[in-house]
Amino acid sequence: MTRVFTARRIITMNPALPSGEAVAIRDGRILAVGTLEEVQGWDPEAPVDETFADKVLTPGFIEAHSHVMAGGMWTMPYVGFFDRRDPKGKVWPGCQSLETVIERLIEAEAEMGDDLTDPLVAWGLDPIYFDDERLLAPHLDRVSESRPILIFHASGHLATVNSAMLARHEIDADATTPGVDKDGDGNPTGELQEPPAMRLARSGMAKLGSRLGTEEAMWNYAAESRNAGHTLVTDLGTSQLTEPDQLERWSRVVNDPEYPCRAVVAMSSAFGGPSDPAVWAEFSKELPDHETDKLRFGIVKLMLDGSIQGFTARVSAPHYYRPPEGHPGNGLWLIAPDQFASILETYHRAGLTVHVHCNGDEATEVFLDAMEEVLTAYPRPDHRHTVQHCQLAKPHQYRRMAAMGMCANIFANHIFYWGDQHRDLTMGPERAAGMDACATALRAGVPTSIHSDAPVTPMGHLHTAWCAVNRVTASGEVLGPDERISVEEALAAITIGAAFQLKLDHDIGSIEAGKLADFAVLEEDPLTVDPMTLKDIGVWGTILGGVPFPAAS
Amino acid sequence: MGHHPRRRSLPRGQLIPVTVIGGYLGAGKTTLLNHILASTSERIAVLVNDFGEINIDAALIESATSSTMTLTNGCICCSLVDGLSAAFDAMLELDPAPDRIVIEASGVADPAGVSAFAHGPGLQLDATVVVVDSETIQATIDDAYVGDTVSSQLAAADIIVANKADLADVQLWLTGRYPTTLITPATNAVVAPELLFGHAPTPRAAASHEAADIFESWQITRDRPLPRAVIERYLHSLPDRVVRAKGIVWSSDRPDRQLIVHRVGRRVTVRVGPPWPGEESTSLALIGLLSTP
Ligand SMILES: [Zn+2]
Repeated sequence: MTRVFTARRIITMNPALPSGEAVAIRDGRILAVGTLEEVQGWDPEAPVDETFADKVLTPGFIEAHSHVMAGGMWTMPYVGFFDRRDPKGKVWPGCQSLETVIERLIEAEAEMGDDLTDPLVAWGLDPIYFDDERLLAPHLDRVSESRPILIFHASGHLATVNSAMLARHEIDADATTPGVDKDGDGNPTGELQEPPAMRLARSGMAKLGSRLGTEEAMWNYAAESRNAGHTLVTDLGTSQLTEPDQLERWSRVVNDPEYPCRAVVAMSSAFGGPSDPAVWAEFSKELPDHETDKLRFGIVKLMLDGSIQGFTARVSAPHYYRPPEGHPGNGLWLIAPDQFASILETYHRAGLTVHVHCNGDEATEVFLDAMEEVLTAYPRPDHRHTVQHCQLAKPHQYRRMAAMGMCANIFANHIFYWGDQHRDLTMGPERAAGMDACATALRAGVPTSIHSDAPVTPMGHLHTAWCAVNRVTASGEVLGPDERISVEEALAAITIGAAFQLKLDHDIGSIEAGKLADFAVLEEDPLTVDPMTLKDIGVWGTILGGVPFPAAS
Repeated sequence: MGHHPRRRSLPRGQLIPVTVIGGYLGAGKTTLLNHILASTSERIAVLVNDFGEINIDAALIESATSSTMTLTNGCICCSLVDGLSAAFDAMLELDPAPDRIVIEASGVADPAGVSAFAHGPGLQLDATVVVVDSETIQATIDDAYVGDTVSSQLAAADIIVANKADLADVQLWLTGRYPTTLITPATNAVVAPELLFGHAPTPRAAASHEAADIFESWQITRDRPLPRAVIERYLHSLPDRVVRAKGIVWSSDRPDRQLIVHRVGRRVTVRVGPPWPGEESTSLALIGLLSTP
């Protein structure tokens, strides 16, 4: 059966036919796009649905780098600085002072049951916006003196707990674990720094961990994506895929007709599972049997370095601008550079697409050198291996990526969330201005996408596109205006650009006859609004395989 | 992810000692691990934190009734789930509990980051052992990509094993750079158990042990409480030839709890432990070199 949707405008991202006013759909795929008369040529009897007559359709947005645990966080209260909308559509106003954090927690605690052993766990706190005022145990004791509380910071490297949590796990003046912050008298302040110390608050960390990989997390993740106009989620990547039931669970959840997104699940040995790449490569051979139109595999994720804001990314000379006292001078390797080429070779020869986390340019250099070595020995057309984050890559590195057929997925959201810190602390003004260099990437001819890395920053491609287009930091300053890209280029990055690096551009990423009928349904035309308002465009929801999925409100 | 460990209550007063082995690729970490497995009858749980094939001698593992788990390096920034933390949970779940946990860190891991976990409940950091390849270490430490990493590894060591000492002698060079660290030369990563574990060998049937006669040991016992400050001062003032000291102290500051004390090389750790399972008393074991080499 054929169905026709009309719209105020259909932005196709197909340069050969950039826009239309009607789209005909049959069996979940696009039959035709063009004028109403043109598409009706296929089936004059087809019903015309005018629900979206005043909306703008674009290809469904594709987030090529985020994590399913983003959905798990929403089973706990949010105490971050910026407003955020949860999967059910409720807007959680940002907590812009410690007082509002405490108020939010008091409300959340009041809604919990009588079982005082059940800890209150909240997430998203980012005290870098509080002028160094710290949340400590006495603040949280105002929320409860008897229920243990753990606040998981946005950085992932800190937790703050209350006195009840300290007492429950006997974290006291005698604690010898590095990272248990203590006051002048030697008593714990409630701040636990880095995982070894955070782990001491076991009941809180266990509750957090238990929420991240559940089916509820998977549903929340897709709901939040749909609310933002996304029609595909990526989990980049999971170390659990080889565990019993994991494949079955992904299949069952994603193939459920009610599940509002397609999914690409990347495998990764970074956090567990088999350590030998050859074992993963062998395992990957069975993955195609589990693929459907909604669920795909074929990607392996590796991590070479840490993060820039954590001063753990591998950065080439002159290294970090104003690192904290005692910093060793450069970041951490997560894989030894000497070992990297052989790992890459194993996955490359297995026919997988390799996506490598490289925040620092030195990590990017190691990836590129290994790539050149492996490609010279084992040429392979159209591999599309991708530099993930790619935050400090230099122009010559983008030229090498282009020469070797590689892609870049750039962490554009960093400009807004940490751009001020990068200018003032991590990189200094010159290199901060050249970070997340979307314009340079496109000039060099590198297939490019942009991402949120949710839950590291909030999911939402209109916001991510806004970051790449405007490069405005949290303080309102424009960082590196010459790296700004046009709205059209940003739209391409979040649709066909992302589809290309997931090797799905034959099926999704633009509105063309034969492709899957996946659209974002927008209230305004992103190509005509003031680019500074791009992030504020209302999202009605999505159409996935021809089926409308309204956003939660 | 999603661990819900059932806490098995550890035998009171028994913290599982943790040995962390660090060092760059090719230094001999796995050789040392195999040597450890071969030279003790302790039940050892092994955690290997690296990519690629793991060349642990499977026969040794089985007969030592050890368990191995693998994990690789990750940054919590991008995972929120910490692999090491989950691995420690699993180690603490083992039944029967292991006598010791040995972790082989990855070639680029900072062993300090790994050993920080060993202060947690049920665990006691015994020693951070960093293995170097005597032939290549002086070049590796100047390497543009990994020099700083290797430098940090060495700085985190309680004991540096200068392996492949038959091929090059870097003892002086290491002593100059790390004057307060215990440095021992080794060939094929053969290191005396007295140094590695702080006690005389409990050899497996086939294991040979030739180095024992270079050590002597002392036992100190007291059945009266001592001020914590006195004990700390005593441990810090021991001469360098005392390579290991450990024990349980009855302190007058916290008489209801065991005070667990530990010295490796010059690093002293004092920690309040569990309540006394029986009679309170102080007992310390010291191991020293017979003569300074
Ligand atoms: Zn990520």
